[in-house]
Amino acid sequence: MQKEIRHQFIFPHPPTVVWDYLTNSELLAQWLMPNDFKPLVGHKFQFGTKPKLKLGFDGRVYCEVLEIIEYRKLVYSWQGGMSKEHPSLDSIVTWTLEPTDNGTLLTLEHKGFKGIKNYLPYIIMNKGWLKIGKRLSKLINTK
Amino acid sequence: MAIPALDPFQVIADPSRRQILQLLSKNSLTINSLAENFDMSRPAVSKHIKILDSAGFISIQNIGRERYCILKQDGFNELQEWINYFDGFWLSKLQKLEALMNKKISEHQNK
Repeated sequence: MQKEIRHQFIFPHPPTVVWDYLTNSELLAQWLMPNDFKPLVGHKFQFGTKPKLKLGFDGRVYCEVLEIIEYRKLVYSWQGGMSKEHPSLDSIVTWTLEPTDNGTLLTLEHKGFKGIKNYLPYIIMNKGWLKIGKRLSKLINTK
Repeated sequence: MAIPALDPFQVIADPSRRQILQLLSKNSLTINSLAENFDMSRPAVSKHIKILDSAGFISIQNIGRERYCILKQDGFNELQEWINYFDGFWLSKLQKLEALMNKKISEHQNK
């Protein structure tokens, strides 16, 4: 099982073109979600998507631009949940662009899910659960 | 005591509850021995334990005369579900971007 979200895509376009699709609000809306993004550090914006009520997600993502290195890197916060006041999902999205011989390598990382870090080993390593089970049976058997 | 219904991220956003899970990851403990690790009152510790229990992060089992808190996978699975959801979300969005950009190239070539 994976512990962080990371995807890489290679595009046969120069970084300037890929950058446009990441930072132009209208182009961004064509493939990601409707938004009011502006490429300015400190700018607060929102994305709107379908709610995922089972997960406690109302479909609104509240973001703030944290870092911009033109044509190379874009970082924004990514908060959501059942309301703006209780952003149970508190994470960071990072886009990195690297020029290649005939295009761009685009890397997306979505991480920093608040609080989750310490427990990932337990999610990932099912062995951990085996250990807990063994400990439990030992405990029961010694009583 | 009313136990609020919290999603898994809210459950583990609380430092005391994270500490409880951390302690339980080393050893299954009784509510009393857990409470010894905290400055807060025993009812306050109990409330955190109930929240963890209702969110599926722990189970409470009677062993002998004691009530033991034991880590449980359900709550952690729900966190994994979130991660999986966003993983699939990004993958499908990026594929959409790829299709969009490829279209741009073929349009350009046809000009």
